[in-house]
Amino acid sequence: MTITVALAAGAPPSAALAAFTKQTGIKVKWVNIDWDSLQTKISAAATAKTYFADATDVDWSRVGQLSKLGWFYPMQQFLNTNAMAADMPQIKSFTVGGDVIGIPYDASFMVTTVNKQMFGKAGIKTMPTTLNEYTSDLHKLQTSGVSAHPLDIPFAAAEGLSTYWYETTGALGGTVLDQQDKPQFTSPSSPGYKAAEWMINAIKTGLVPKGNINVTDSQGMQTLMAKGQVASVFSDYSGNVGALYNLPSSSSVVNQVEYIPTPGATGAAANWSNPDGIGIPKEAKYPKAAATFIQWFTSEQEQVDFAGVNGPAKAWATYALPSHLSAVQAMASKGNLVGGDALSAMLQTSKPVFEGGAPPWYPQFSNSVYTNLHAAAAGSETVAQAITAIANTANGLAG
Amino acid sequence: MGSPAENLMVKASSLPDETQAAPAAVSPDRRWAAGRRLIRRLQTGPQSAGTGYAAKGLPYLLVAPLAIFIVGLALVPAAFTIIESFYRVNPLDPPTRFDGIGNFHRLFANSAVLTSFGNTAIYVVAGVVLSTVLGIFFAVVLRRPFRGRGIVIAVLILPWALPGVVEGILWTGIFDPSSGLMNGVLSSLHLASHGSVLLGENRWLTIFLIELVQVWQITPLSTLLVLAAMQLMPEELFQAAAIDGCGAWRSFWRITLPLARPGIAVAIVQSLIATLNVFDQPYVLNGAATTGSSITEQTYFISFQDLDFGGGYALSLLITVITLVVSLIVVRAVYRRVDY
Repeated sequence: MTITVALAAGAPPSAALAAFTKQTGIKVKWVNIDWDSLQTKISAAATAKTYFADATDVDWSRVGQLSKLGWFYPMQQFLNTNAMAADMPQIKSFTVGGDVIGIPYDASFMVTTVNKQMFGKAGIKTMPTTLNEYTSDLHKLQTSGVSAHPLDIPFAAAEGLSTYWYETTGALGGTVLDQQDKPQFTSPSSPGYKAAEWMINAIKTGLVPKGNINVTDSQGMQTLMAKGQVASVFSDYSGNVGALYNLPSSSSVVNQVEYIPTPGATGAAANWSNPDGIGIPKEAKYPKAAATFIQWFTSEQEQVDFAGVNGPAKAWATYALPSHLSAVQAMASKGNLVGGDALSAMLQTSKPVFEGGAPPWYPQFSNSVYTNLHAAAAGSETVAQAITAIANTANGLAG
Repeated sequence: MGSPAENLMVKASSLPDETQAAPAAVSPDRRWAAGRRLIRRLQTGPQSAGTGYAAKGLPYLLVAPLAIFIVGLALVPAAFTIIESFYRVNPLDPPTRFDGIGNFHRLFANSAVLTSFGNTAIYVVAGVVLSTVLGIFFAVVLRRPFRGRGIVIAVLILPWALPGVVEGILWTGIFDPSSGLMNGVLSSLHLASHGSVLLGENRWLTIFLIELVQVWQITPLSTLLVLAAMQLMPEELFQAAAIDGCGAWRSFWRITLPLARPGIAVAIVQSLIATLNVFDQPYVLNGAATTGSSITEQTYFISFQDLDFGGGYALSLLITVITLVVSLIVVRAVYRRVDY
């Protein structure tokens, strides 16, 4: 039988897929669709109750929605997800009401990156551990002339801006929504409010380039951080140092960028998970075969191969970081992962943005977050107005 | 230049049938009769085709694939959209149920949708005016043959052939505040300071610049449509006007523009449809920001982000009705039948 796997990524090495087919008799047809189109296809196919793929993307932000809609099989029907959870901390991001909607196949989480060479030029020898120290260091970078605008915040009205705010809120010791999905950021003394103020002040005071008003997260990382235009990204992607900043073909800051523990209110803060998952739609033709594939695809051995530990022939070009903690630790100990020790420690303590799983109405909420924070950065709203608008959206949706 | 029938008669005389068998010196009456017989044959088909059911069904059979295509992919979905726009269709809020004008009511209470209506109106006005004026200008320039004309037309078509998303990405670089071409030009002309933010801060400027990108894309088709209309204009008209002392400018206003009205009307309608449905350029250049979001962006957000398909159907229906009504107004105001 042939199963269709649709993800927003190119296919893994054909030798790996051939080995899977030899081992199981299951052939894999790989379909690479951009993320936005993929989400549209998932919704359209599920609504029309038509077959689309046997295994496809499960985004952490849609887990609540997908759980309520029942569009995906609970993975515990096919796999021992309890056993997997012990070595896969980010499986929590895909769990709602006891159901595991998807299995994380990589371990993306938000992390702070700094260009140590630029920090050094500004006379900063000790890396900041609190947000106040971090802000002070950014000003030093600016006043010393090392970087006119040392910080990257992607203010384009897109998902990356919401994620940045969640990470900053978390760094200040707070959360965006509570377990009942009620907003926790309306008080000016709340971490969420302070995080929004800090971000908007950063662009108003020139810590962030003015042009970032329309820069997305990936654009900022590729054109600002990787080109030495800025010295730090507070909410960067784990894996970017090895996969972007240290690649001479796409970066002019090779070996200059490092991960640091995310500066928090009083010390290092936890990191928010932002993983990619894979699940089985209810309209799949071969759900059991798809589950077999997912088990193989997310196994520690395959992840180590995909990460390039066992040679470039087995590496998967678009792969970031294994979701198995043991795989990350093994890579770190063998020296196969840039910043491996820091990453494995952060992965161990990474937390889901929404403890009980993202609410079913998360996409609407996120839309409100990024459009209002963008408007505040553009000057058409104040921080207070933006926060009120976001809170009203959350309250209206939570009911 | 004779009547259409005379023209057809001349053409018919070159066909290898009984009309060609006529001797060289045939009287005008006989040639006229032969032409009429040919027209009748063309209208009714060859006598040998017979009058059986198979012969009668042939035209329907030939049209069937296109008819099935149109019915299946346009009419049925359109009917479905109209019906469903009056239902609450939201998988997060089951079951699907009749909701009257509930979807429309919610749309008009949604500030993001209302803002997007305003933005889209500006896109339409700016886009239609600019693309039509530029289309007429380029058509006039390209009307006369000159060396390299084919290459110029091919280059002109390029933006039309590019996907909107690709154009958006391309222009993102051009509008970049620190390294973009546009900022460099404006600052060198002392029209803006270096590093000025062009997109996202000022609503009017944002919409105008986004629409400029779309105009770059849709103007080639407007040009081709107007150019096609101009190519049909008989040269004798312009020669006669010149003999009567009509200058180039007067000739353009009094002859070219009136005779190009069928092409201009079609060009305006295509620009209208494109600008009313603008999605790629604002989405890529300005994200979901209210400073530039269009109605079709809102349709996407409502349908596929919020999963409120009923609301999405209702908004799609509104866009369709607006497109039809405005197109009809344009056609009535601009289109004139032209016979040469």
